[in-house]
Amino acid sequence: MQHGETIVAGSKNFTEQIVLAELFAQQIEAHSALHVERRVNLGGTLLCHDALVAGKIDLYPEYTGTALTAVLKEAPQYDPSVVFHRVQDQYRARFGVEVMRPLGFNNTFAMVVRGDDAAKLHLRTISDIGTFAPKWRAGFGYEFMERPDGYRGWVAAYGLHFSGEPRILDLGLLYRALADRQVDLVAGNSTDGLIAALGMVALEDDRRYFPPYEAVPLVRRAMLDKHPEAGEALAQLTGKISEEEMRRMNYAVDGEHRDPAEVIREFRKAKNF
Amino acid sequence: MNWYDFVLRNRGEVIARTAEHIGLVATSMAIALIIGLPLGVALVRRRAVQRWVFGVANVVQTIPSLALFGFLIPVPLIGGVGASTAIVALALYALLPILRNTCTGIEEVDAAVIESARGMGMTPQQVLWQVELPLAAPVLLAGIRLATAISIGITTIAAAIGAGGLGVFIFRGVAMVNNQVILAGAIPAALLAVLADLGLGAVQRRVAAK
Repeated sequence: MQHGETIVAGSKNFTEQIVLAELFAQQIEAHSALHVERRVNLGGTLLCHDALVAGKIDLYPEYTGTALTAVLKEAPQYDPSVVFHRVQDQYRARFGVEVMRPLGFNNTFAMVVRGDDAAKLHLRTISDIGTFAPKWRAGFGYEFMERPDGYRGWVAAYGLHFSGEPRILDLGLLYRALADRQVDLVAGNSTDGLIAALGMVALEDDRRYFPPYEAVPLVRRAMLDKHPEAGEALAQLTGKISEEEMRRMNYAVDGEHRDPAEVIREFRKAKNF
Repeated sequence: MNWYDFVLRNRGEVIARTAEHIGLVATSMAIALIIGLPLGVALVRRRAVQRWVFGVANVVQTIPSLALFGFLIPVPLIGGVGASTAIVALALYALLPILRNTCTGIEEVDAAVIESARGMGMTPQQVLWQVELPLAAPVLLAGIRLATAISIGITTIAAAIGAGGLGVFIFRGVAMVNNQVILAGAIPAALLAVLADLGLGAVQRRVAAK
């Protein structure tokens, strides 16, 4: 074990990613002599992927469905284990990147409406909005608009028609725009802590349109070969984070404005990692 | 596929986004000039007020654009989702260089020249329009030139609030993990900035040569 060597943990630019990068970093630091530099808030999948392949970062959290469709540019698939193994094989062969076992939760797209609309119009599933959609304005992020598992397929699968083109906004502004009635439906992430905190409702994907997005650590093979103890530390996280736990941590940061490092310290203590 | 193949294949949208981009820059710059020029003139040699106004403009400059958009969404009339929010934010960002250069440009006009203008019996109004502003014009234009270049660059962020512009390609490319699409937004934006800078530079030289 080389004392004091530094590796770099990266993340995309949203809360859950920053929280997970912090979890990976603390976990590795607790079980090795490595020092982990946090380079979080990189602008999206592209930047993280390029940085990882170029060796500028050594690991970052990713979602299997995103790796399959957005990075490998393959058609969406629906069996979680098929998706995982496909992604693992391809990343190993093409990028020299190890896709570690899933952390335990699935962060799928969530179609979110305001709580008062959900109550008034009795909305529970995505199918329920069909008759209201023509009077609604939708707001989506760029990623959702462009992905093969995104907007176009989604409106086709549910036969939806909205009033006008969707407003396309930065992910971080979507909930504000929804709360402020600028739009009536947004595509968020199912583990977003703000959904419940802002009294919003995520509609059920009753036609099973969205593929699995299991959260996994992506780690550079070269780094794992050099520091196998880092891989062992991360392997302890396999299957240990439920969707509810992730949502609570995201809310602690987004809703209660707490420091991700502190949230993760408490979580690791509670889970005995 | 190269970025220019992408641009050729999507030239309709590239042209439309470029027009949107120019529209956003022009509108926000116009607002910044309408506010910034008179305010800059009003602040000349008023040190105490200057410190406050420049301080506020400086602080505004440091607010990240996404945060600024977030603040503006609930604001009636100027806020919401779309072009108006983007224009307000962009105008705020352009204000500081315009204010500062208007103010310092006029303050740096040789005191002896102003003195002799007054000696000739010019009213303060005449001194401003016939002496101070023409002599300060090169510095003033330098401020406008700087603000325009910055504005063309940061207008790409307008795409984050649904206001369109060339930033749409940049955001879309980032989301699609596709460098070609990013370049289809970034390169025209850079070209626009270079063209605007050359154009305003030429104007600036002509004014300075007078």
